[in-house]
Parts: sequence; structure tokens; C-alpha cells
Amino acid sequence: MYLCNLSGPQNVADASCEPSALFSAVGVRLAQVRWSRYNPSFLEPEVNKELYQKPFNELSEEEKEKQELKAVRPIKAAPPSISSSVFSDPMISKFTNMMMKDGNKVLARSLMAQTLENIKRKQLEKYHRAPDDEKETVECNPYVIFHQALKNCQPIIGLSNITRGGKTYQVPVPLKDNRKRFLAMKWLITECRENKHRRTLMPEKLSEELIQAFNNEGPIIKKKHVLHKMAEANRAYAHFRWW
Amino acid sequence: MAVVAAGRVLLLGGRWSAATASGGPSAQTLRLIYTTTAAWRKNIAASGPEKYTEAFIKKQIEEFDLGKRHLANMMGEDPETFTQEDIDRAIAYLFPSGLFDKRARPMMKHPTEIFPEQRKIQWGEDGRPFHFLFYTGKQSYYSLMHETYEKLLNVQKHQDQLAAQGISPQKEKKNLVGSRWVTKTELEGMLLEKLSDDDYSRFIRLLEKLMTLPCSDIEENYIKKFSKEIAVQLQKVSVEPLKYDEQGVAFSTGEGVRKTSRATAVVYGSGTGKITVNGIDVLHYFPVLQDREQLLFPFQFLDRIGKHDTTCTVSGGGRSSQAGAIRLATAKALRSFVTEKEVEFMRQAGLLTVDPRVRERKKPGQEGARRKFTWKKR
Repeated sequence: MYLCNLSGPQNVADASCEPSALFSAVGVRLAQVRWSRYNPSFLEPEVNKELYQKPFNELSEEEKEKQELKAVRPIKAAPPSISSSVFSDPMISKFTNMMMKDGNKVLARSLMAQTLENIKRKQLEKYHRAPDDEKETVECNPYVIFHQALKNCQPIIGLSNITRGGKTYQVPVPLKDNRKRFLAMKWLITECRENKHRRTLMPEKLSEELIQAFNNEGPIIKKKHVLHKMAEANRAYAHFRWW
Repeated sequence: MAVVAAGRVLLLGGRWSAATASGGPSAQTLRLIYTTTAAWRKNIAASGPEKYTEAFIKKQIEEFDLGKRHLANMMGEDPETFTQEDIDRAIAYLFPSGLFDKRARPMMKHPTEIFPEQRKIQWGEDGRPFHFLFYTGKQSYYSLMHETYEKLLNVQKHQDQLAAQGISPQKEKKNLVGSRWVTKTELEGMLLEKLSDDDYSRFIRLLEKLMTLPCSDIEENYIKKFSKEIAVQLQKVSVEPLKYDEQGVAFSTGEGVRKTSRATAVVYGSGTGKITVNGIDVLHYFPVLQDREQLLFPFQFLDRIGKHDTTCTVSGGGRSSQAGAIRLATAKALRSFVTEKEVEFMRQAGLLTVDPRVRERKKPGQEGARRKFTWKKR
């Protein structure tokens, strides 16, 4: 009764593999923060309930070692933006934080909620308008649409500036997972802030872009293809990369 | 006559010291050496840390023991069973101090705690050093490295012997998780010598190399000197038992802190999941959804959403930090209702740790804590 009315993500399998990929295996930051209030020996907290309910025998070697390590090391406090409920999704939290301006988390969260509601409404309209045999193909879950849209927007290869002999070349470079996710979200947000009519609101524009990206069409997918083509064109300079 | 002249000159500034020239016939002549007051003022910084002789330390220990007995008599307690804690209490009572810094207040501790352990003089009367590595500058460190490498060679020799006999050594995987190596400061304390980070990491790498060899069990005693045990985290926390109020309902209290907020929560065993904060219903006190999610987090994690009633009081801070403080308080209170395994799960989910993050102060010369002023070329 206290939580929002939207139904939680039905396809939790997609959501559950994302959170572990956002942090490294052991829960220790790969790049050490220069100065943190926590001692470096503190490990990241694991909020997902299902991982704790697995019986001991089903765990693999790696997970057993991780568990033993967690038993002796102190753990950081869970941040206020995440919780163990089905409604808290790490991708959605990250996207909300990127949308936030001047620390106004309340506004960012309400915009996100309105966006998901808009997606649901549009998909439901489409569902009811579709003939009976096509009704099953219409995806109504806004969380599934969000995750799939972001996945479709992620570029595989990026360009990096390398200076050789005074000239700067655009060298094609493989991107890390974090970087891909960040670029997809960044493109979405900039697209929705800049290329819209003065009177359209953010949730409306965002929901439209997300549905288009889900169907592999729209300006962000086009931007991704343009980047891939540039990388393909600059294939000759690929040997400049040393990492 | 020359001596009389020197005596008269002493009345002026400066100091004249007479030096006898060594040699046979002119042994009576005095060479006058002029030194200014500035020159004979002692260079305290260059002479290094204060050196304490063994006799001095021994005398201090005797005085301390005697003083301890006097203090025990003064306080009317038994001198034989007067512990350090009793001494601290007695001194705090007899010499009350309003100073803020604990280290500035009067204290009476055993001399080994006050005077740091120092190395004895490393050379004999003839000036020749005792240790063969003295002139490296870090004699204890290099001798330690030599010793450890010797053990490594020993183990390898043993391995070769076994291989010659045809036995392949099997090593059972030791559980490394419960132990850690000595830290750099601890090693410096052991060697009584300053080390650099590089030196320390070289030594640890050598120890790890030694440990990974199959036959390293021979030198286990040596390795144990440099490893310490880490206690399992769970053992450090004691869970309070449930209390019962007048109606016989079980309840438990917990306290939580976050930034400047302080919260206390009382969780009742039977209930419908109502939460009351400072006498106001949670829906009115926390209109933002995120805060209510945080309050429900501990209950949702333990699958006990509709089973407990909570009454909280909170003060200080803003809306998010108050929610965080109440979350910690309820998690601590719920420990009494739940099995030990679930307490460990809560700890690993980050529900039982106090969040140490506070607002970073603004620095002079900058606009904020991190933001610098706009850089202008001219």
C-alpha cells in the first residue's frame, strides 16, 4: 500500500544478471577511489535476497570463496537509493541519477515513474488496437522495454583520439561494458533534452524514444549506426591502439 | 701568564677554550680557540630522537611501581591487585582536567608505553659496528630478507631431495581467508627500523612465494611469525535478548545514526506493519516514496512486512538522513527476533553498518569542498 502501483519487472532474469555486472566479482572496486570514508578493506553490500537463499551445495567454488571472504571482512552500508524489493532496479537507479539536475532526486524519480507509466499506456493502446493473432507480440512490461531499448542503443565499438606525429587520428577501440551502458544512457538523455518541441514534457519524449529504440528505430539507434560506420571506415588505423 | 690573560678575556662575550697541543716539548703551550654563543648552542634537531639508557628506563619502571602502590594506598585499595584501569580512574579523579584532547590530560602509564622502544648503540668502543650489514643503513630489513631467502632455498633443497627419491609432494590448500600478513607499521615495530612501501611489498612478495611452495610446511613456524588471524566479523556483535512489556508483547529497541540524525526504534513482535515516527504516521512524516522504501527495507529483506509494529523517534538531519537512521535502528532491533544466520545475511546486505559518510568541509581558497574558483588567465 505504501509502494507504487506499477507492476514489478516480470522478467527478473534479465534484471538479476545486470546488478552483478555493475560491480566486480569480489565486490571490491576495481579502480580505488582516491579518498573514501571507508577503509579499503570494506566490501560492497549484496542486496539481492535470492543469492542468500541458495543452499550451500549449489554454490560454485568461486562463490564459496567469496562467501568465506565476506565472513571475515567488514561490509559497507547499503546506499539509500537501493533496496531488496523487486521495484528497485540498479539500471533504473543509474538512469534516474543521470537524469537528475542539481540533486533534485524527487523530481528525477517522478519523471522516471511517469515515463514508465506512459510506456505502459502506449503499449496497452497498441495491444487493444492489434488483431487477436498479433496481441501476443506486443510487449507491455515497461521494465522489459527499458532494458531492451538500452541494450539496443549500446555501441559495440567506439573511437578514441590518438596523436601520432602531430596528427590526431580517430582509432576504433573496443568499449568496456560500463562505457557502453553509460553512452547508451547519455545519448538517450541528451536526445530527449535537446531535440524536442518546447512544450513537450520529458516523460512523453522519453517514452517515445524508448519505444522506438525497443523496435530498433529512431535517432539514437541511427547515432549508434553512424558510430559503427565511422569505426569501420577508420579500420586502417586500428593498429595504432596499444592496449 | 697566558692563563691569566685568558681568564680576563672570559669576562667579555664569547668563550675561549684552551686546547693543549699534543706533542712533547711544547706541551705547556695553550692554543686559544674562539667560539661564539651561537656555535655552542646545541643542534637539537640534528641529534635525532632522544636516547634513553637502560639504567634510566629501569629507574622509571621502579618509580612507576612504587607510585602505583602509593596511589593504591591513597585510594584505599589493595596495592597487589591494582590494575591499569584502576590507575586511570584514580588519576582522572585526583587530577580532573577540562582539556578536550585525551592525550593532553594527565596520565600515568607503564614506562614501556611512554618511552618508545629504541635500538641500543650499534657499535662498540672502538667504533666498529656489531652487525655485518650496518653500512647498508637498513641492517634489520636486509638481514630479515636474507633469512627469509635462506628458508626459501632450504625448502627448495628439500623439494629436490624428495623429487630425487621419487615422491611428489602434495600440498593441501590452506585457507588464507582467516589470516592476514603483518602491516607495514607492525613490521616496523618488530624490526625497530623505518621501512619504505617498496621494501615492505618486496618482503610480503617473498613470504607469499615461500608459502606457495609445496614443502613450505617445514618453515611454517617462521611464516607464522609474520601472519595474524582475523576474527570472524559476526563474533564481534552481541545480540540482545527480547524484552517483554506489560501486555506480554515481545519488543526490542535499536538505535541508528546517519549524518546528523539520531533515531531510536522500538519494534513489537506482533502487529500489522504500522510505523509511527515521532507520533506521526509514516505516510504523513515521509511523503517521498524513497524514504518509505528505506524504512521497509529491513522488513522486506527478512520477509516480515506485515508482522511487526514499529514506533520511532528521530531528530536532526534532513529527510533522507532521518530515513537512513531509522532504517539502521529497525535493522538493529530486528536482530533480536531473527536467527544468527539471518543476522549475518543482514550484515552482508549492508543493513547493519553505520554509514560513515558526512558532509565534507569547505576549504579556504576554494569555492566548496572540491570545486575550485574559476581560473582566470589574467
